[in-house]
Amino acid sequence: MKEYKPYQEDQLKILLTQEQIEEKVAELGKKISYDYAGKDLILIGVLRGSTYFMVDLTRRMRIPFAIDFISISHYSEQTDSAGVVRITKDLDLSITDKHVLIIEDIVDTGLSLGYLLRNLKTRDPADLKVCTLLNVEARRIVEVPVDYKGFDLPNIFVVGYGLDYNEKYRNLQFIAEFDRP
Amino acid sequence: MGIITISREFGCGGETIARLVAEKTQFLLVNKDTIIQGLTEYGIGKPEEDLDKIVVSDDCEQLVPQYVDAMHDYIYDLAIRNNLVILGRGGSILFRDYPPALHVRMIAQFTQRVQRVMKLYDLNSETAVKLVKEKDSEKRRYYRQIFDANWNNVRAYDLVLNTEKMGLEDAADIIVSAYQTHASPREVKNGPGGVDIENGIVTPSADAEAEKFMHPSEEEFAHMLDFYRLRWEYEPRTFLLEWDSEGNVIEAFSPDFYLPDQDLFIELTTQKPRQAWRKNRKIRRMKELYPEVNVRLIDKKGFESLLKKHSIDQDEGEES
Repeated sequence: MKEYKPYQEDQLKILLTQEQIEEKVAELGKKISYDYAGKDLILIGVLRGSTYFMVDLTRRMRIPFAIDFISISHYSEQTDSAGVVRITKDLDLSITDKHVLIIEDIVDTGLSLGYLLRNLKTRDPADLKVCTLLNVEARRIVEVPVDYKGFDLPNIFVVGYGLDYNEKYRNLQFIAEFDRP
Repeated sequence: MGIITISREFGCGGETIARLVAEKTQFLLVNKDTIIQGLTEYGIGKPEEDLDKIVVSDDCEQLVPQYVDAMHDYIYDLAIRNNLVILGRGGSILFRDYPPALHVRMIAQFTQRVQRVMKLYDLNSETAVKLVKEKDSEKRRYYRQIFDANWNNVRAYDLVLNTEKMGLEDAADIIVSAYQTHASPREVKNGPGGVDIENGIVTPSADAEAEKFMHPSEEEFAHMLDFYRLRWEYEPRTFLLEWDSEGNVIEAFSPDFYLPDQDLFIELTTQKPRQAWRKNRKIRRMKELYPEVNVRLIDKKGFESLLKKHSIDQDEGEES
């Protein structure tokens, strides 16, 4: 049988290998397990990019926790000028008095994460922290706290391991630099 | 203020080209004669004295600093009110920190220049060779003496033109068009009326004109900030970056946005990297002068990724 290699035709420059990601995710899982031992922890995955990271990260954790997901609308050029950011899928669990850790695939401008933090803060969690696999400080507009991070990236566009371009490439096991057409 | 500086090897046709550029752009031509005249008004030097000889003479040590200061003041003074084409006089060094200035260097082979000089001044080849060598070495000394700079460093210029196979008119056209491309489309603000200046920061008075964006990208950016429910102000302050000796502002910078909750100024650029680099330099200068102020540049790439990343099929892209 002929082996199918997805996206073989695309010019993707591997930036972070599967091994590097696995190693980093294990490290983060261990650190989070240590820091949150004995605490009532809820991990909140921000849809949809963080799903792969969320799954792998939680499998590396050795403490009890709950998971939930949240999704918010994003700005685009087509957005009505009167439109504002809103939650398109809210949490199912209450986070009041819980230790909350937001799980992001990437933090760049900080705009959507900034909104999310402001919104979740109003629900009175015991504390609210952020874990992101990728951090692009060079694109930051809004200062946001990043408590756990996997890798720092320069101002480039990347795909793979949950990150997409037009819904493509999410299932790559590695993270690659991608030149947008 | 628009500035074009032209430096040239002797015999390149630089003087003619500078005159043509000044005519085409309607800029004021500043050459040695203009400066001698101006410095005489300042009470330094006399019209009959050859400044090049003074600055390379033995007793130049006290004269040079005086001369340089006066020339600097005089040219800056002119530049505040006029757009200038500056021929020679180390203009590229005087205005090296003024990013919109275009610095041009004209070159040609020695033999070519000798031939041009022979024709122009009706000289025999021996005299022409001597004259070209003398003039070049005078310029070299002038740069070393006054600016402690190497006259032959072509990297100090934005545009180097070889006039060997080029008509002078064509060369002038190239310079004019290069200037138009090079100069930042946005004019430096010169502390307009109706503003208060405090600690080098200009704040428009309350009755300032209603929000008018200079560029569509700024409007788009404002929409995006609205979308994420962030408070913003458009160009609320102007930071003064450079003054001349009389206290006139010659360079200033108004970042596009201020986010009060972040205490952050944001400058957007959708220009090419080369122009963005000049904005970067302004921002660096601003950080030196106002270290307590947070300012950030969002470049073309960053801005496009902000707008594009969710624009196609609600592409979730980054930060999803």
